Order: sequence, then C-alpha cells, then structure tokens
Amino acid sequence: MKAAKLDSGQLAYQMVTHKIRDASGQTEDITHQYSTEPTIPGPAIMMTEGDKAEVTLEQDIKGSNEPVSIHVHGVHYKMDSDGTMKVFNHTADQAAFPGKPYTYKWTAAPGTAGTWPYHDHAFGNPMLGAEDKGLYGTLIINPKGGKVSAMIDGQIKQVDLKDIKREFILWMHETTFWGMELNHLANRQVPLWTNPTIGAREDELVRFHVIGIGTAFHTFHLHGHRWIQPGTSHLVDTVNIGPIVREAFVIKAGEGVGPGNWHYHCHVLQHMQSGMMGGFRVIEN
Amino acid sequence: MTKISKLTAAILMAGFSGSSWAAQSGVDDLILSVPGLMPSAVLEMSDEPGLWFKDPVDGDALVVLKPKQAAMIKMTDTNTEHTITSLLWPAGAENFPVDQEKPSSASVTQAFDKPGLYVFTCKVHPYMFGAVVVDDPDTKGLDIGKELQLVTGAKVPASSDIAKRLLRTFFVATTPSLWRDYSKPEWDVSLPDIPLNIEGNTISLSALSMTMPNELKKPATPGVGEVWVNTQFEMIEGKKKAGTATRINTGDWNVVSKFKGVKEDMNNPHNMWTDKRYQNIYQTAWFDKKLLTFDRVSGQTYSEVVVGESPSHVISRPSDDMLYVAINAGEQVVKMTGGKNPSAQKSINTGPHTSPHGHYITEDSKYMVTPNALAGSVSVVDLNTDTNTEIPTGGVIPIAVWGTPNGSTAYAANLLGTPPLLSSLTVIDIPGKKKLKDINLAADYDPVTGKISGEAYGLLPIQTPVSPDGKYVVTANTLSATVTIVDTATNKVVKSLPCEPGCHGAHFGMKKGGGYYAYVASKFANDLIVIDMDKLEVAGRVLLSDLKDGSITAHNGMGGQGILPLPIVEHGYLKETLKLSGKGELSPEVEGWLNALTPEQKGI
Repeated sequence: MKAAKLDSGQLAYQMVTHKIRDASGQTEDITHQYSTEPTIPGPAIMMTEGDKAEVTLEQDIKGSNEPVSIHVHGVHYKMDSDGTMKVFNHTADQAAFPGKPYTYKWTAAPGTAGTWPYHDHAFGNPMLGAEDKGLYGTLIINPKGGKVSAMIDGQIKQVDLKDIKREFILWMHETTFWGMELNHLANRQVPLWTNPTIGAREDELVRFHVIGIGTAFHTFHLHGHRWIQPGTSHLVDTVNIGPIVREAFVIKAGEGVGPGNWHYHCHVLQHMQSGMMGGFRVIEN
Repeated sequence: MTKISKLTAAILMAGFSGSSWAAQSGVDDLILSVPGLMPSAVLEMSDEPGLWFKDPVDGDALVVLKPKQAAMIKMTDTNTEHTITSLLWPAGAENFPVDQEKPSSASVTQAFDKPGLYVFTCKVHPYMFGAVVVDDPDTKGLDIGKELQLVTGAKVPASSDIAKRLLRTFFVATTPSLWRDYSKPEWDVSLPDIPLNIEGNTISLSALSMTMPNELKKPATPGVGEVWVNTQFEMIEGKKKAGTATRINTGDWNVVSKFKGVKEDMNNPHNMWTDKRYQNIYQTAWFDKKLLTFDRVSGQTYSEVVVGESPSHVISRPSDDMLYVAINAGEQVVKMTGGKNPSAQKSINTGPHTSPHGHYITEDSKYMVTPNALAGSVSVVDLNTDTNTEIPTGGVIPIAVWGTPNGSTAYAANLLGTPPLLSSLTVIDIPGKKKLKDINLAADYDPVTGKISGEAYGLLPIQTPVSPDGKYVVTANTLSATVTIVDTATNKVVKSLPCEPGCHGAHFGMKKGGGYYAYVASKFANDLIVIDMDKLEVAGRVLLSDLKDGSITAHNGMGGQGILPLPIVEHGYLKETLKLSGKGELSPEVEGWLNALTPEQKGI
C-alpha cells in the first residue's frame, strides 16, 4: 500500500499490489479489485481467521517528509508491527519515510473475526494526526466458519458470507460519512466518497460496516431496518459510534418494509443538520 | 503570495479526477450505489492569523475549482467553534448560500456549479475569510462572475466598486505580507498580473494594486494615562497561538510593554476591561474559552478561567465592579466576581442563537445591552433582575454597541447593515426597550460607481463608542477603512476620517488639558490612530509594534482590536475610581492620572 496526497490536499491510502497465497502455495493477484487511485476510506483489506498478512507501506506524499504508518486494530502482531513512533514505543520508528517503506505483519488469530480500523499512528503534521487528513481504512476479518449471525425474517440465523453480495463501509468523521462499497457481484471496491446513496435489490443480504474516526461521537441510524448487535440478541436500529468504535451487521434489504429510499444519518442533530446523511436505496426485485 | 502564483497553475490544472473506475459494461449495472461528493479541494479552518481558512495544498486561503467540483470546509486547528457561512457568491448559484445557523465544529462539503467568486466567513469571527473561485476553463481569465450576491440579500455587479473592494480586502486580509506595516516607509499592495474575468471582460488582478506612504505622527498634545490595545495577531516566541496586549504611554506615545502571556496561549485576545482601582486587566481569548486576568503594571498573570466558547468582550458594572463576559459562540453573558480570580456567578441568557458580542452597561448600572450577532437583535437586560428583553432590529450581524452617558440611547453597529441599507447603526431606546431607527453610515457612497458625494462613507462598521459628552458616535468601519462620526443630535454622519485596512477597535481617552481623544486600531495595520474630538481630525498615528523586542516572531503590532484607555472616560465608571482617590487605595500612578483631569473630564 502507499500513502499519497489527493488533489484536495487530503491524504489517503491506496492499494498498489495485493497478492494472496493459499495453503497449497498458489498465488492470486487481486489488485484489480481495488481502486486505482487513493481513496478515503482506504482500501478494505479482507482476511479470514487464520490468515497472515504482510503489508508494506510506502510514503508517497508529494512535498512531505513526514512519516506515515499503519496501526491496525483487532489482529495480532509483534511489537515491530505496532505502527507507532519511537516516542511512543521507546524502541524504533515503525513508519514509512520517503524512499523507505515499512512492512507490517499481521495475524488474523482465531477469535479476531470482525470489522477493524487501521489508521496512521505516526502523528506527523499536524500533531492532530494524519488520520484526520484521511489516512484510515478498514480491515474485515471473516470467521473461519464462513458464517455470521444476523436477524433475518424475524429470526436469528447464521448467514453464509457467500450469500452476501454487497458490503457497505461507512466511516463517520466530523460531520461526514465517507463510504466504500465492496461489491462482490462485480468483484471490486467502489469508492463512494461523502454522504453517498448506497443501493441494493430488495431481499438481498447486505452487510454494513460503520466505524468512527476523529474526535466526535455519533449515533448511526438506518431507517426501516434493524439488526442484532453482534454477540447479543438485542435488536437495534441505532447505535452509538465513538472514535474507532465499529458496528458490523447483516440485514435483508427492505425486509418487512419493502423497497424505497431509506434514510441513514447521524442522529446527533447538529451533525445531521450539517448534512451527515445519505440514502439506502432498495430497488424492487 | 503563494496564493497568487498558485492561481495560474490552478487555472491550467485541468483534470477533474472523477471515478477511478472506467465504465465497464456488464459490471456497472451491478452497482446500485451512487457516490457522494468527492472534495477536490479542502479549506481547513484554523486560529492562524490571515489563514483562517487554509488550503492544505499551498497554505493559502483560496482554492480554485472547476464547475461541478466540490470543496470540503472543515474546522481543524482551532480551539473554538465557528460557523461556515457564505459572505458572497455568484447570484443564482445552485445550493447557495451555505449558512450554519449556530457555531459548531461541523464541516461542510459543497459542490459549486456556477463560475465565479465564493467567499466564506464565520459569523462569530467575521474577518475569517476563505474563498473558492470556480473557473470555467473555456473562458479567458479567472472567473469572478457577473453578479455577486451578498449575504444581506443585496446583489451587485462584479465590476462594481464594492465588489472590487471586497476582492482587494480578501487578498489583504488573508495575506499577512500585504498588511500595512508602519515600520516601513510605504504600504505596497502589489498584486500580480493574473487575468480576471469580470462580467465577461478580462482585467488584471494587478489593477487592484496600490501604494501609499506610511507616515507616523505623534499627537502634539499628550493624552492622560495609557492605552491598551489588543494586538490580536502578534506572534510571540514560545506561544502556539497568536495575540498580545500592547500598552502605550499617552504622555510620550511610546510602547511601554506588551502583555505576552507566554505560559498562557491567549489565542486571539480580543477585548479588555479593568477594575475600579485599575489594578487588574481582564482579557478575553476570542478563539478560545478563557478569561485571563493579569496585573496591569507587572504583567503577572493572576488567573485563567474557562468561561465559554469564544468570549468576545468583558465589561464591569460600575456600581459593584462585577464582570460581564459576552459568550460570543453561545447564548449568554456570564456574570462574574471581579478581582484577581474572577468566578462565574450566573449565566444571563440572551435568547436562542443570539451570540452576543460587544456589549455595553449603562453608567447608572441599570441596564446591559447586547448586540446579538447571529439573531439580528439587541437585548436589553435589566441588571437588577437579570431579565432579558430581546429587540429584533433587522440588523445583519450586530457586533458592537455603546450608549449615551445618560443611559437613554444605544447605538448598535450592524456589520452587514440593515437591508436594504448596506451599512448601518441601529438606534435603541434603552429604557423603552425598542428600536428607534437606523442610521445609514454609507448614505453618500455609490456601491456601483464608488463615487463618494459626502461625509457618510462607512462600510462594515464594528466598534462604535459614544463620546463621554454624548455628542458623537465614533465608528470603525473595516471595509471602507474609515472612521465615521455621527452627531447624536441629528443622527447623521458629520465626518469620515481615513482609517486602515481592517479598521476595528475604537474607544475614547482623556486629552491632557481637557477634551477627548478617540483611539482607533486596525487588524491589518500596526498603528493606533488618535482622533482629536474637539476638531474631529486625526491628531496622530502611533506605532504599535516594538521593533526592539526579539521575542515577537511575526505580525509585530498587528491585529488591533479591543481598546482600553485608562483612566476610563465614562463618568459613571470614573466616579467610582475618584471615590477611592486620596485614600491610599490607588497607585501613585493612577492618582497622578486623576489629578491631571479637568473638572469636566471628571464629570464634575
């Protein structure tokens, strides 16, 4: 991956090359699934419990000598893959500098299944942290069994991940949603930028990943739909999202309510008034 | 001037970076989502003087986009809350204006369809400027537009005098190297030869350039006492945020000292007041949340108290020396005990979304009047009961108010006028709690041709004190760079005097031997203008920078806003100090000032 500067001056991660090797040693290049430009949020990296990853980061930010890093949540790693600077870890700078990439090694250990953030932890310029400038992305660890629980047709069921064709990633930052779709039908990641309209066909199983970044606290609300919070039987249609808090859930699009333009928004009214909202367009089958 | 050189590059920079995915037949129909706006530019709001809206690409306050592109405006490096508000935009632009109704830390992502100039500001701190120019690459020159709409509702041709003034003001305000530095022989606003497309005609930005000589002059007659000026943009070594208070001796018109608050990042100190002994200086940190109290003579800091978002002005009540701090990004005035460690006693609500700014207390201690910047109203608060009467005035961003010595009448400066008036003072009957009328400060100015046919020429009025004899209202007008003087007998402008870019702070002080001076400071110039109120003439210009002080790292003497002359001229306040005279309660220095006053100045 690399960290680069957008024309707007914001920073963003971009996947340069992604190769996967299976247990038999067969290698597959899946780089084509990713955007060919840096995006906010950054590339969504998908792993399965038991997988290992090596992530090499290049600092490719024009006009900047500041270090950038990847600090990941959820997965296991050794100290040298923490993505922090010597000032924090008292050992070494685990960051990429211009012309000097840095490699992180992650293990998606059993029990780490879930949606996790990764973000810059070099806290360069400004000291607020470059994550506020756009250096953050999503790591999705799928359970080894290939199933996640969800409330479907009024019952808690184990849903086969292969049946999920669309995944929507919504990052809540300041007063903006930054979106990304993982479209498994087209087999690609689609950058959706700010406050997008996300779309699915009625009765499709879709997975949402909602994550907070920055300093604000948000309340994610999706109209017309409800889900069980992971690990519980609590049915909700609203969830609080603080910094680096994440919520992942599966729903059946339009279940019990039918097709339509279903609103999603931050329920902190001031954030909503500032446009922190979008639509979930469910198209009739 | 990076901004200017970047402009040309930006014009040439075509590439609207659309989706990074080329359309692929058979694949795109599987994707039902519709991407939202992708910001092609960002303006990050900051506390940094001049760069209140900062493009992270080149560090300037202006970005250039192509039609249909979007910009994100966000609050990044700031310690308080702001609004993101359109000040002007091309008339008819889709989805405009942008106007956050109350201060917050909320960002805005906005698409721009119509070529032309879009200027943004913060309604709480209305000299924070950022701009987007939407340039159609198929037209010659950088598009400014045909007709510009102001937030007041007025529409003006882009070639009009007022539009050009706003354009030049934007460049001066957001480019510290263009600020008027009186330590240099001349003021050179040199703008480069960038083609601008105004109403279809191409003119050069350099047509707005100008050069003027800088001439300082100490007033022939000394004043009595000293003048404190909030040099709000001055940068000091060891401080992350801007601002000092500069102390001038009116005996010789020299800088005595600067309160730098090195340990305390004052962060744009805006306005000051004092106690009746003139021991403490109370100072508000406008881009922060604090009231700072320091010793007037030694500069020692006594306390730093959090009072609320963007405290703007502080004033005392003469009868009991209690402090009243206007919470500019809130809806209240905080009542506090005075002394070295002020403590909040009560919050006086001024009404929803009011954002009180430069408030005033009548000399008889009965009433407080607040100009409610975001509500277009003025509040009259009965200080015996703390009950508030909000008077809608129709003024746009009423920002400062002052009253006559008898407490009957107040004058509120409406920064953006009272539509259809471009520039106005609203006259308030204080005990009657009603609006009497609006005074047109720019009655003699033609905004299209720029012709000035008389004395009434004041645009974007800010501080507006009433003279201690009640005869005049002196108003600092920031856009016209004038000081207008209104005769309270006729409520007409009788004089306009030249001021400076960013003309802002104004108050009265004592003239030695009798009479009064009006002192006026400007944000983007480092002089203090001294106006002789007997002659209604400029008596002198005094330097606010201290060229010998190596700890001043930038903007030496710049950012002039709140002004506090001592002794206080208002007789209702002065009499409380005079009561202490000769009792060993005042410093010899203060006793000396009081002894130098004439009976009239003492209010006897």
